[in-house]
Amino acid sequence: MSKELILKTVDELARLIEGKSISPVELTTEVLDHAEEMNEQINAYIQIAREEAEIFAKRAEEEILNGNYRGMYHGIPIGIKDNIYFKDQVSTMGSKIHQDYVSDYDATVVEKLRDAGAVLTGKLNMHEYAWGITNDNPHYGACRNPWDPEKIPGGSSGGSGAAVAADMSVASLGTDTAGSIRIPSSACGIVGLKPTHGRVSKYGCFPLAWSLDHIGPMTKSVKDAAGLLEVICGYDSNDPTSLHVPNENFTDFNGDVKDLVIGVNEEYFFHQVDSEVEKLVRANIQNLVDQGAKVEEVKIPALQYAEWAELVTSLSEASTIHHRNLLKRPDDFGSDIRLLFELGELPSAVDYLQAQQVRRQLKKDFAEAFEKVDVLISPTLPVIPSKIGEDFANLNGEKVDLIDHMIRFTGPGNLTGLPALSIPCGTKGNMPVGLQIMGPALKEKRILNAGYALEQTNPLQGRRPSLVVS
Amino acid sequence: MSLTVRELLEDKGLKMQEDHLRILKDRWEGLQVLKGDLDTIQVDDADIGLRNIPGGDHIE
Repeated sequence: MSKELILKTVDELARLIEGKSISPVELTTEVLDHAEEMNEQINAYIQIAREEAEIFAKRAEEEILNGNYRGMYHGIPIGIKDNIYFKDQVSTMGSKIHQDYVSDYDATVVEKLRDAGAVLTGKLNMHEYAWGITNDNPHYGACRNPWDPEKIPGGSSGGSGAAVAADMSVASLGTDTAGSIRIPSSACGIVGLKPTHGRVSKYGCFPLAWSLDHIGPMTKSVKDAAGLLEVICGYDSNDPTSLHVPNENFTDFNGDVKDLVIGVNEEYFFHQVDSEVEKLVRANIQNLVDQGAKVEEVKIPALQYAEWAELVTSLSEASTIHHRNLLKRPDDFGSDIRLLFELGELPSAVDYLQAQQVRRQLKKDFAEAFEKVDVLISPTLPVIPSKIGEDFANLNGEKVDLIDHMIRFTGPGNLTGLPALSIPCGTKGNMPVGLQIMGPALKEKRILNAGYALEQTNPLQGRRPSLVVS
Repeated sequence: MSLTVRELLEDKGLKMQEDHLRILKDRWEGLQVLKGDLDTIQVDDADIGLRNIPGGDHIE
């Protein structure tokens, strides 16, 4: 069986599809065959929707042959995280409680993908209710990291990260409340973009914590992420948090970083970091400096309370959503998230509102920093992902709590709602390492451009996940 | 009066697992350490934490 096509990016495939050199049917068949073969090892999909995907691939093929090419994602097979609704299909949220839940409408992002002609290949594994970073799901099985199947793929969008890394989906959508797009993107060596809060509608996505949730692209390249953002962005009156801002041509960048001012915050974003990860991130910053960028250190004092504010906000909001089921059927939750829901019952209203005041101060501090610098660069994760079943990470020889450390650098992006991109910046041993680029509100194109400049330096140097290396 | 984690949760009608109580107590104490006293942050006590948008979610 040929696996030539599945290795390509959306950007590469789109040119071939538009030029009618390949057909969406051919591509979809190759992706589905590979996904079915690999799923036994990786468990990235909860459900592969072969029949429906084949119908939509055929439809895309006919449209393109008739001269109705819709754009970059037309005929591209992509899997979607299982907390994003497909009309008349089961969306489990990775849970037992919602194992039979069928939505009577498509999520707005799914509707937009269908309009763009994308071929939806099925629903991807996730941490139960998106409330965790291991994707060790007690109901649908652990999802495994294609770079090392003994290790977690990160989460909560672990199925999305693993599927894209293992070529089981050409691109994907994830959701991000404390880092759930960027964490698995870093852990699986792919690109993940958390857009500005409100840029992408969350209507039809089961919430984890309303004020922190985002939907965004997880892809093989920066260009693919930009193209997917173009498809899914836009105002939606069904989402109370949706922003009424003009859509942009997000793929319109060239990687020119001459005179880009990179902010580095040493106290928070380079504190307690795996020494090899730190070295890689600093080397990548130097790569940008070599291309004409400048570096300036910035202070963001409120970051001192970011972990507390992120935890109190997410715990309180998530426990509110699940309060009734925690009272009625607590044993139907996995043990780890039941514990988090119980913990979320403890903060007082004063705690929650103080956390919101901290958020406002944090937004002011970031805004001041972005008056001096264009982007802020940090590691995405301070540690390398652990083995499945372990609840600690290794930080320079010391055992540290896994979840607290995995969300430490990503959480501020959720608290502030600012856009943040994770891109691969090298490897430590056999595992990829991610670098995070944050920017001011609605400046996705700026961070994509900086990411693209780094991507052009080929930081992974052709290294591929061990499970799919052949 | 200081209520224990168990009392706080049982008062809400939650069924507790014994092995969760110690972890919950540790994590709750960890959260208090992270919060500290908020003295070193310029939070304005009179600042609004939430917005009240009149007329609905989206004002045209």
